[in-house]
Amino acid sequence: MSRISIKAVGSSGQGINSIGEVIAMGLKRSGYSVFGYREYPSLIKGGHASFQIDVDSIPVRSPGTKTDILITLNHHGFEHNLYDLQKGGIIIHDVDYWEFSKEDQRFIEENDIKIAYIPLDEMLKKLKARPILANVLLTSFVWDMLNQDIELLKQLVREQYQHKGEEVVEKNLECVDAGCIYNDPKLGRVTVSLPKPDSRWKDQLLVTGSVAMGLGALHAGLRVYVGYPMTPSSPLLSYISSVQKEAGLVIKQAEDEITAVQMASGAFHMGTRAMTATSGGGYDLMTETMSMNGMIENPMVVVLAQRPGPATGNPTWTAQGDLLLAINSSHGEFPRLVISVSDPEDCFSLMPEAFNLAEEYQLPVIVLTDKHIAEALCTVPAFDQKKAQILRGKLITDPKALKNLKGSDRYDPSAKDGITPRWLPGYEAETFNAQADEHSADGSIDESAEAAKAQMEKRMRKMKGLKKHLPDPVLYGEKNPEILIVGWGSTKMTVLDVLERLGVEKFGPAFAPLGASVGKGLEVGYLHYTYLWPLKTELFERLAAKAKKVILVECNYQGQLGMLLKQQCGIDIVEKILKYDGRPFYFDELQNLILQNLQTSKPPNLQTAS
Amino acid sequence: MNIPLQSPDNTNGPSMADYHHKNQCTWCDGCGDYGIWTAIQRALVALKLHPWQVFLCFDVGCHGNASDKLMGYRFHGLHGRVLPFAAGAKLANMDVPVIAFGGDGASFSEGVGHLVHAIRSNYPVTFILHNNENYGLTTGQASSLTWQGQPMNASPFGIPERTIASMDFIFSLQPTFVARAFSGNIKQLTEVFKAAIEHQKHGFAFVDVLQACPTYNHFATHEYLLEKCYDVTTEGHDVRDFGQARKIATDTTERIATGILYQNTNIPSFYERLEARKGITTTPVHEVAKRDVSEFMRELL
Repeated sequence: MSRISIKAVGSSGQGINSIGEVIAMGLKRSGYSVFGYREYPSLIKGGHASFQIDVDSIPVRSPGTKTDILITLNHHGFEHNLYDLQKGGIIIHDVDYWEFSKEDQRFIEENDIKIAYIPLDEMLKKLKARPILANVLLTSFVWDMLNQDIELLKQLVREQYQHKGEEVVEKNLECVDAGCIYNDPKLGRVTVSLPKPDSRWKDQLLVTGSVAMGLGALHAGLRVYVGYPMTPSSPLLSYISSVQKEAGLVIKQAEDEITAVQMASGAFHMGTRAMTATSGGGYDLMTETMSMNGMIENPMVVVLAQRPGPATGNPTWTAQGDLLLAINSSHGEFPRLVISVSDPEDCFSLMPEAFNLAEEYQLPVIVLTDKHIAEALCTVPAFDQKKAQILRGKLITDPKALKNLKGSDRYDPSAKDGITPRWLPGYEAETFNAQADEHSADGSIDESAEAAKAQMEKRMRKMKGLKKHLPDPVLYGEKNPEILIVGWGSTKMTVLDVLERLGVEKFGPAFAPLGASVGKGLEVGYLHYTYLWPLKTELFERLAAKAKKVILVECNYQGQLGMLLKQQCGIDIVEKILKYDGRPFYFDELQNLILQNLQTSKPPNLQTAS
Repeated sequence: MNIPLQSPDNTNGPSMADYHHKNQCTWCDGCGDYGIWTAIQRALVALKLHPWQVFLCFDVGCHGNASDKLMGYRFHGLHGRVLPFAAGAKLANMDVPVIAFGGDGASFSEGVGHLVHAIRSNYPVTFILHNNENYGLTTGQASSLTWQGQPMNASPFGIPERTIASMDFIFSLQPTFVARAFSGNIKQLTEVFKAAIEHQKHGFAFVDVLQACPTYNHFATHEYLLEKCYDVTTEGHDVRDFGQARKIATDTTERIATGILYQNTNIPSFYERLEARKGITTTPVHEVAKRDVSEFMRELL
């Protein structure tokens, strides 16, 4: 029994998210790995939106294009999503006026699609329940269809509505009872079998990347957060704001992105841990300040949550189009670190890394994420809280050590690794000037050729140490892959799902996860880049030289990681699977694209610049 | 006012010598920046603040060249952006007085949005406007405070735009502290700066310092300011009277009112309004530590 998919569609504001979230949490608690994926237009009300849940007993980290159960809250689901259904799929609806076209009817018959009608209005009237409770009726109806424990659903409903009082809870529970016993009179009770549950999922978290990132930042000692709303960075602002009281945070919703990054930079300069997050357009506004932080050697963490551009682009969709922006943004040359998260586990564990490296190397850090990671719900193990340390580099707070400092220690260009002591306003020591003009050792303006050269070299030397310090990209799958897939960011989730399932189909679950091979004896590996600037290429070069085929997978038009690799080590990855339509790679789509690529194109596919 | 030039014994607090920087000033002869630069050091010494106890943030412009002409923890950043950086710094460490300096170009054109929101937010920060009514460092272009009709670099026929009525604009934002002073009156400047720094415990202090730009400003000259400025304290002005303050601040046709024009100590500062910080006695700078997030993870099960 392979993965199944449930998809709720309707207008924004109709409540599909509440259906999706409750079913996702319920199934996780029942012992499934679930992946919740939302598509929605940039509107508050109306439009056509969806919440899809992919379910399996082995890890599921990506949405598929096909669905087994389609719940439609209006007729748009018939228009837009009928052909998303798998053979034998089910549509649940309360649209009593809809007539299918001949073509649709043929599709329905040929694919054995079942259509279950649920008279929501009539049921609500009978229950004396408000229209919004139609969602509870539908959820419960589906829950019964999945053969799941109704008490578990009731418990969830209680948790969700207890803050609204007993009366509201009771009305919701009545709807659960009514929904689960309802059957379409023509179809009778229809059920959909799920794979065998696995109890390991029960204790795992169901979490979006945004929440995971917020938790990671708190774990790393974040104290000040300054934001300006922009999808898909807004859920991070919302989450951090929602826990501000418990965490005692300073939160500021700024008047614009320039303010956000300047305020956070000021706070970081004083010695706390501060951050901001935005998307491409907002990041464009922040770039001058990134350059300033590079110059004054101020640690800073900025989250760049990608969505498709250029310009306002597709605000509520996903992309990996800002990699080269992150690396090349801002005027002048200065050291920086660019890293990318790929899933909620990364979102949590890389935030302490980002803060530590920002302070150890005294430079701005850009953390890339995207709409797909930011908003998708993933099932992941509880975050490991043992691993992270707070590393603050050459920050000096000891009174004795402070007494020995001279102002000219701050930007002393003779520092071997380019990293000089950093100390903070308010601490008793000789003072210095955090100088965004080119400067001498104590931050005095210095336009001399000697100072310009020495300070540029001091700052850029930090990149050498940083590059050495950073881990290599991570190789998943075979150690010596004949087929090498290369990618970064959220693409990892789909790639791993594909590799794991190809392995499972061929060799059985014992070979999962990711130890399995694909196709005619070919061994497959996925090389995942987390640290993107400075870029380490040694492992890639070694693997690429041995591989029969290298395939680049990215959600952008140009293959930006490929461009970067070519620039840095001269190897041009010819085979590219690129997507730039605002959607992430779907599981089955990427599986087909990889298999097609393996079947049709012939090695060698690498070109080395001479 | 006790402002020692040298203090033989450091336990008696700082002296002017502590703020002395080896770098020499580079402003034009007769520039108003000399007076402001002198008065701020005097005010800090009078308040018994050592250089290591203060954070001085400079915008970009002629005044920004003061950033390496005095001691103190200093920051010299981007054009127009000094206020948010200073505000972020202050919120991170409420124990450190934070003083931001900016010109009229930075504050009423490039960064005017920051000024609006700094006043509205009532950040516990002092802001000193170096108001010479033009862009000096870029060789004398018109700012939005340059008088209409004045020929300037890049506008030889005068600016077509109207001049911003800066004080009317400031008062429209419900400020909690407004002062105006003249760079030629160092004694008054010192007093005004002291009061503006002390106002940080209540919120945002806006100090408009009218200064000469002998090279590019040929209309509001040192002589002109010398003649027109008068000290409101000599006329018994009540700084709590918002209406009267606004009136004397905006009406500059006959005379220019200087001194503390308005102060309201009853409005909480931005920091005091933060619900999440109530009851916390430390500052964010001293709170950086690994945090257990188990309580938040429980909600995701």
